[in-house]
Amino acid sequence: MTHPSLTQIVGYATGDPGLDEPAVWAIEVHLEGCADCRARLAGSTTVQSRAVVARVALELDREIAAAPAPVGRRWSWSWSVLHHRWFVGTLLPWLVMTVTVLGCAALLGALWVGMPSLVLLVAPLAPLPGVAVAWQRRADPAWELIATTPAAGLTMLLRRTAAVLAVVVPALALVGAGTGLSLALMLLPCLAFTAATLLLGTLVGVRRAAIGVIASWTLVVIAPSIAATRMPVLLSAEAERSWAVATVVLTAVAFLRVTGSRRLSHPD
Amino acid sequence: MRAVSTAETATTTHPWPIHAEGLQVRAGRHLAVDGLDLALSTGVHGLLGPNGAGKTTLIRALATVLAPAGGRLTLLGQVVDGRCELRPVRRALGYLPQHFGYYPRFTVREFVGYMAWLKEMPKADIPGAVQRAVDRVGLADRADARLKTLSGGMLRRAGIAQAIVNDPRLLLLDEPTVGLDPEQRLDFREMLRDLGTDSCVLVSTHLVEDVVAACTDVVLVNAGRLVWRGTPEVLAAQGDGGHAGDSPAERGYAALLRQHRAEANR
Amino acid sequence: MEVGCDDGHVESAPDRGRPVVLPGVRTGKDAADEGELVRRVARGDRRAFDEFYRRTAPWLEVRLRRRCADPDVVAEVLQETYLAVWRAAGGFAGARTGSGGEARGSAVGWLWTIAAHRLVDAFRRRARTDQVPQVQLTPSTVPAAEDEVMAARIGQELEQALLVLPPEVRAALRATVLDGLSTREASVLLGVPENTVKSRVRRARVALREALS
Repeated sequence: MTHPSLTQIVGYATGDPGLDEPAVWAIEVHLEGCADCRARLAGSTTVQSRAVVARVALELDREIAAAPAPVGRRWSWSWSVLHHRWFVGTLLPWLVMTVTVLGCAALLGALWVGMPSLVLLVAPLAPLPGVAVAWQRRADPAWELIATTPAAGLTMLLRRTAAVLAVVVPALALVGAGTGLSLALMLLPCLAFTAATLLLGTLVGVRRAAIGVIASWTLVVIAPSIAATRMPVLLSAEAERSWAVATVVLTAVAFLRVTGSRRLSHPD
Repeated sequence: MRAVSTAETATTTHPWPIHAEGLQVRAGRHLAVDGLDLALSTGVHGLLGPNGAGKTTLIRALATVLAPAGGRLTLLGQVVDGRCELRPVRRALGYLPQHFGYYPRFTVREFVGYMAWLKEMPKADIPGAVQRAVDRVGLADRADARLKTLSGGMLRRAGIAQAIVNDPRLLLLDEPTVGLDPEQRLDFREMLRDLGTDSCVLVSTHLVEDVVAACTDVVLVNAGRLVWRGTPEVLAAQGDGGHAGDSPAERGYAALLRQHRAEANR
Repeated sequence: MEVGCDDGHVESAPDRGRPVVLPGVRTGKDAADEGELVRRVARGDRRAFDEFYRRTAPWLEVRLRRRCADPDVVAEVLQETYLAVWRAAGGFAGARTGSGGEARGSAVGWLWTIAAHRLVDAFRRRARTDQVPQVQLTPSTVPAAEDEVMAARIGQELEQALLVLPPEVRAALRATVLDGLSTREASVLLGVPENTVKSRVRRARVALREALS
């Protein structure tokens, strides 16, 4: 890179009309990237310019002394951005609830020997409460504001679903590791149910879909298993492969179907 | 140096940022906006009308929260119906609802920054834009305070800051001066006039004096329809001593409404 | 951003007043580049802020003055810009570490973006009351002999093309391309309708394409 000559810099600083526009452009582009030339420019400015810079420096001193120093530097900006953009407050109570339920289920399973694993039974439902409230008018205080942004609707729903999974999946993995259960049997149904809820949501709305899925699973699988005190075939080790296939298919179909769905972007 | 895209230099062909023809909007089952015709250009427009006139419903429809039930609505050249792609319009939109919910644990800076992010502003521009919006509403010294610690007037100003953070072409403010003290209202009017130089600003209010002081144009609605439109000066000239009100503009407002009601009853 | 320029100076004549700071001879606080200074400002370091001001304010003042002839407006914009830097530096520091470097990712580029928006705000403010004195558009002149040295970033052809453009077209190009403003902001700055700015930029694009082909 060639640096502008001192004469050019002086011409630029003093507003010399002899300097033509292309030269000014080149100087401006160069100055933005070159600290040394900025320093040379600082030495070439006019008396008026120096007066302005000095006056503003005094004003800044006054303003900065008058106001409290900016805070909010307890956290780094990136952490606060991650925290606030993805785990928006509204999801937090639901996530806490989900994790608590999982913890209780694990505890019960440990105390109550001979029962089918409760954790395994409720694992498929774990993300659903969070998904149900992800983009709901009543669940989100700032709904009215967010509804007018380009990120409203589907983007918001998928983003928050991802946030829910980012909490629920590690929680499940942790509980699963503690109890020695098959990780695939914990996580695959959970992902499959999330996709199924979104898919069903394109027809009846996400909230109703989630409630429907939770109710059916509880009635058809959880209740009979507890009554009979044995694990359902659906959650036996042989079913693993079927779950894998179901997860892949449901996720793929969900991805294809959800993008044009009005039902998902306009909740009731 | 910045690359300027061809799309960016395409001539703007729509004459009005807001154009409604026979617009109908439902609030629940009731048609709160019923056959409204309105074309608004750049500038500050004051939306006046009695309670229940459909002001809030109209603003919510313009903010793309409610879909029109009938008629035709065009925002920034884009026809708004149930099916169209609203993203480009929404990027250029600023909206302050009458009652706005917020996340109490967010600071002002985080909240405005979150809204800027949702409005899909370029990532690198967000911190500067947030600071600029916060400065403009006079909240610079409270930028790092949590929203739950703010007074009503400060919250309202935080709400205005999130509305203007993306430099919207279309700015919709529903009762923005509620909770502001007299001095803040003066500052707010000043800012409105600035915003009106290159945006289309629609301010709904029940305070006639705010409209007179800050707006270039008055839009009077009643029962979901446009009643009258004109400049604040002409509004003030409509009334006389026989009408209720403390200022010429308020008397003009009362006179126009009474006249409209008399015509409607006939 | 890199510290200084390592690829050698054509110019070695000493400046008047302030000594030229050459690469490699900086010590202590001087060794930090502007990006590092802004990161320190983000932690509330007042001395880093003063150093950042000392290094960048003269440049910014000149650049603003070339766009607005009223020294009061320049002073106002300068003050608002640096106050914004003091208050919002945390966001810049975070955005940098968070998402990696972008084209406008340098601290100085960031500073200019803030200043350009604030300058447009100042023009909006004054658009209602009175006109801001604009800088006279310079007519095209024959390039001086010295300009031969300046083949910098924009090449010879581009330079020639810029010369043949009418002043108002160049001004539109400068506001959008060089200053990074939107066509809408440029229309406030130049005091012409937005569609006029757009058509001028289109004209410039056609002319430059012809010149470069």
